[in-house]
Amino acid sequence: MKSSVLDAPLRKNLPFVLPGLIIYVAFVLGPIIAAVVLSFTKWDGLGRPELAGFGNYLQLFGDEFFLKSLRNNAVLIVFYCLLPLLIGVALAAIVSRVRKSEQLALRTLLFMPYIMPSAVLGIIWQWLYNPAFGPINQILRGVGLGALAMPWLGDFDLVLPAVGLVATWYYFGFCMVIFLTGLQRIDPSIFEAARIDGAKPWYTFGRITLPLLLPEIRIVLLLTIIASIKSFDLIFTMTRGGPANATLVPNIYMYELGFQLNRYGYAASVAIVGAILIFAVNYAVHRFVRPAGTGAR
Amino acid sequence: MMHRHSRKTGALRRKSLIGLVSLAVVSAVTFAQPASATDLPVWDDYSYAAQTAVIEALDKKFEAAHPDVTIKRTQRTFEDLGLTLRLAVSAGDGPVVTKVNQGAKDMGAMAQKKLLLPLDEFSKKYDWPARQSESLLARDRWSKDGQFGEGPIYGISGLAEIVGLYYNEQVLKDAGVELPLKTFDDFLAALDKVKEAGQPPIAMGTAKNHLALHLLAGISQAHIDAKSRKQIDDLIYGRGGSWKTDGNLESAKLMQHWAEDGYFYNGFQGISGDDAVQLFIAGQGAFLVSGTWYFGDMQANPNIHFMAIPAPKGVNHPLSVGGVDLAWAITSQAKNDKMKDLAGSYIDYMVSPEAAVEWAKAGYLPSTALPKDADLDVSPLLSEGLEMWKSLNANDAIGHYPDWSTPTMLKTIDDNMPLLLAGQQTPAAFVDKLDADYSSYLASK
Repeated sequence: MKSSVLDAPLRKNLPFVLPGLIIYVAFVLGPIIAAVVLSFTKWDGLGRPELAGFGNYLQLFGDEFFLKSLRNNAVLIVFYCLLPLLIGVALAAIVSRVRKSEQLALRTLLFMPYIMPSAVLGIIWQWLYNPAFGPINQILRGVGLGALAMPWLGDFDLVLPAVGLVATWYYFGFCMVIFLTGLQRIDPSIFEAARIDGAKPWYTFGRITLPLLLPEIRIVLLLTIIASIKSFDLIFTMTRGGPANATLVPNIYMYELGFQLNRYGYAASVAIVGAILIFAVNYAVHRFVRPAGTGAR
Repeated sequence: MMHRHSRKTGALRRKSLIGLVSLAVVSAVTFAQPASATDLPVWDDYSYAAQTAVIEALDKKFEAAHPDVTIKRTQRTFEDLGLTLRLAVSAGDGPVVTKVNQGAKDMGAMAQKKLLLPLDEFSKKYDWPARQSESLLARDRWSKDGQFGEGPIYGISGLAEIVGLYYNEQVLKDAGVELPLKTFDDFLAALDKVKEAGQPPIAMGTAKNHLALHLLAGISQAHIDAKSRKQIDDLIYGRGGSWKTDGNLESAKLMQHWAEDGYFYNGFQGISGDDAVQLFIAGQGAFLVSGTWYFGDMQANPNIHFMAIPAPKGVNHPLSVGGVDLAWAITSQAKNDKMKDLAGSYIDYMVSPEAAVEWAKAGYLPSTALPKDADLDVSPLLSEGLEMWKSLNANDAIGHYPDWSTPTMLKTIDDNMPLLLAGQQTPAAFVDKLDADYSSYLASK
């Protein structure tokens, strides 16, 4: 008995699948395969690529710039994932307790940064951080804290947190909304029972709310980790990886190698390692962050 | 019956098929060629509004003189042109005429792969050497074995560029500085006076753009007399040499001193070069070292003037960093003689005295000499630029952009300049990095 239209023979299904398949192969699968092949070659964008075997990959792991970009990316994960997650959980817990009408207003306001393109945010924040006429330093000077008015995007130590905090600001509203939907999913009678049993709010949050929010935490981690490893637009618009590579991340390095230095094969190997990293970290999240009593999905 | 009907239908189908195939072939041929035989696809990097107005006016005049030609112009930013041109032309696509960045990365690589055509026949036909000096034309020469500055010519530029010293006359007067500055020591003394008066002496922003590179190269090359220019010519044209010179080391030391001791804008590390220019135009700072491409913007402040960076005593004709803007070139997309001739005549028009007048009217410095009888109301700033250009050409004193020396030099400078200015790298280590980049390039040639 046919249970699905897709149970029909291939020749009947093919006309329906083919248009989508062609687009997928042309724009996703094809470029991925091309990038993998390219990563085993030396190619300057002109002429024929020369086979390089694993040369690009071997060179990559001794490349101080690539290693620096990985270290920077590890720091950025704190700002892309950890801080938005913590702020998102805390805000969700607070917002879920206010009245419905106020909740809607708060939720909308806090979610607002997420609806803007991150490249636009980069340009805006670059202006906000400007040491000469940016409002952050103007305000600091205005309230007598001129000593704290720093060249935020020009200081080697401050620039990574300065860019990272923009990412935190961008993602916390998104995390909060996911956690709010998670909280709505939890049966209110569980909280009621805990209250009757005399559980304090912190105890309830730590022992009931958080464990029950693990599916949402997992989703948030997956999405924000992917965002941090593929980060490009925010950093490109704010610092282009500078000063002196202080905000260099693998995708910016890939762009520089390919489009500025014409080392397309080597750039492709950076892209492939980035993709492998995303898979590996997400597998770890899948494997280790899951509600108690459930298997890895 | 059925059989006959089928045969007739079959014949009709075959005819239709032949018709469709013919149509497809005709369409393919039509679309493979430009839309008409006289379409001329052109890519340029004139992306500022004032530049766009000039180039569009010039295109219209060229079309008026060639009624059968339609120019298909694509405007790209400098970065965008660098990203796309090589890939497009190597894929058999892109422009017939294009602007291309001189140096090893773009023009050198494309010339080597025959993606650009030599223009010597046009240079001879239109007598370009009569319009621009060999010192300028050499920047577009690449030999068959990849030697920069020699061999066939692959381009010619329409605009001149000089990296010089912008100064705010009012700020200097207020600080008690006497003008004109005659020597490099006068310049250093003026910096101190301005600093004592509480103004930032040098407008600087290093977060984006290349003001620091221009300042470093500017002061370094101002110490080279035109008669001793062989060393830097050899260096830039990849004939050999070293970046480890006393001039470069002293310049790096000065840069570090100025950065650490408050001669630049406060927070310059977080300000982009373009923002620093705007602050300078708004009256902040006494000096700014950059190129003539800011003439249009600088005209907004009548106190701002332009001069060569003063040289130390004993250097009679100091080099000024600069040269020409991106070159006009013909790509391998020019498949036949007719298209090549059309492209050649378009480029000739773009570097003609007539085009030079149009650029000068808009406040830009043309590389081709203006006709003596040109009816021009030139701004004071452009007038200073034109005088300087004339003098530099007469003395063969147009210097070089350091980043033309290797395909990676710009990145090496960008990576290390912030470290130098922050005091995290010694001037000697900075110069060593430039030299290591250069040695590595020479070894790879």
